[in-house]
Amino acid sequence: MKRKLCELGLIIFFYLMQVSLCRVIAIGGIAPNLMIILPILFGYFNGPKEGMYVGFCSGILYDLFFTDLLGFTALMFTLIGYFCGLLCNRYEEGNFIIPIFLTAGAVLFYEFFVFIGNFLLQNRLILGYFMTRVILPEMVYTVIVMLILYKPLQLLNKLYDSRKRKVKDIDETIL
Amino acid sequence: MKNKIKNFFTPAKILAIISILCAALIAVSYFSDRLVTPIREAVSFIVVPLQRGVNGIGIGVVKGEEKKKTIEELQSYSSELEEKVASLEAQNEQLKTNGKELEDLKKLYDMDQSLGDYPKTGATIIGISSQNWNESFIIDKGAMHGMETDMNVISSDGLVGIITEVHANYSKVMTVISDNSYVTAMDEGTKDQCTVKGDISLMDSGIIRVERIKVNAEVKDGDRIVTSGISSKYLPGIFIGYAKDIKEDETGMTRSGYLVPAVDFDHLQNVLVITQKKQNTNE
Repeated sequence: MKRKLCELGLIIFFYLMQVSLCRVIAIGGIAPNLMIILPILFGYFNGPKEGMYVGFCSGILYDLFFTDLLGFTALMFTLIGYFCGLLCNRYEEGNFIIPIFLTAGAVLFYEFFVFIGNFLLQNRLILGYFMTRVILPEMVYTVIVMLILYKPLQLLNKLYDSRKRKVKDIDETIL
Repeated sequence: MKNKIKNFFTPAKILAIISILCAALIAVSYFSDRLVTPIREAVSFIVVPLQRGVNGIGIGVVKGEEKKKTIEELQSYSSELEEKVASLEAQNEQLKTNGKELEDLKKLYDMDQSLGDYPKTGATIIGISSQNWNESFIIDKGAMHGMETDMNVISSDGLVGIITEVHANYSKVMTVISDNSYVTAMDEGTKDQCTVKGDISLMDSGIIRVERIKVNAEVKDGDRIVTSGISSKYLPGIFIGYAKDIKEDETGMTRSGYLVPAVDFDHLQNVLVITQKKQNTNE
């Protein structure tokens, strides 16, 4: 319970950073997607359940303020959290390769669906422009920010991860 | 018993449940705002004050840095400036004689500012949409402060956008450079009608489009484009920007080109909301 509340606090903190700080650090009008990092990393660290929980909460918070369709981002982030959670058993502390690919894939997946909703349905087929000017730069930038945040989030994750749970999980997998 | 419940809720099943829930939320919010509004209000009462605080800190940091920069720049330029003082003093004498003319022009300019008639209220931007192609932001005033949808938002330079959503203590503003924004406008001098349209593919150059100018209209490059009286939502006479590269369309029926917005959207911090709405003015 305590852990869940802490995660909620972290989500609100990331949201605040997203809507204020990101404007300052934007390069060429492209800001990194901070919110998407949470479901990816928490899913990857702790499995699909937690990924979905974090994804849903952060998605719904973003939706409430910025999306016209409530639940769209929540659904996307939940799916991202789930699929990143499936790779949880591959989790190694020093391994950066998997999270890099997960982040890149998740941004691509999310932005592509946003593109479909915002532009394709309005009959504006400028995917090539979007890919090169918006989606790819955002992907690269988000991956870089993720690498910076990876260690701090890992430490936070450990802080509230009771040892027992870890041991129990290992026991279960062995059995 | 507890274990049974735990075993039933496998990740895949939770995913299915959340997906259905989200789909239902999307469907509901597509048709009506009634269900969503109370949730939104409740969350906004917790988050908006926080947002305001964080933004305050952010502004402080940016201002502090700017100050530091300015001091360094000033020091390096001070010697250079001293040399210039002498020549400027001479020029100043000449300018004094031109002062009278300037005053007259200023009076004319003030008369031109019909915007002064509209009741306005200041607001601070407290959040920017993080979607890189959707230029909307939220301001720290909402229904509690008398905000309503379709109110025009301006800055000291010109038109910024329009309020699209109002909540208890915050509102959402769509800017004129956003991709789905259309503003009916006109040339200030010749009164020729046109449409100002945001375009994402012009994001890099910082300009937007002007369309549907009649082929015989006398709109020239550099003309001031203002909101038109026939617009249903925008009050007439608000300055938007300058026309650029106006050319005849392929069809030969209309002309179109670009518009350089007067407002610097990257460095917007405080905006003014005109509390008078177009719909009410007509009544």
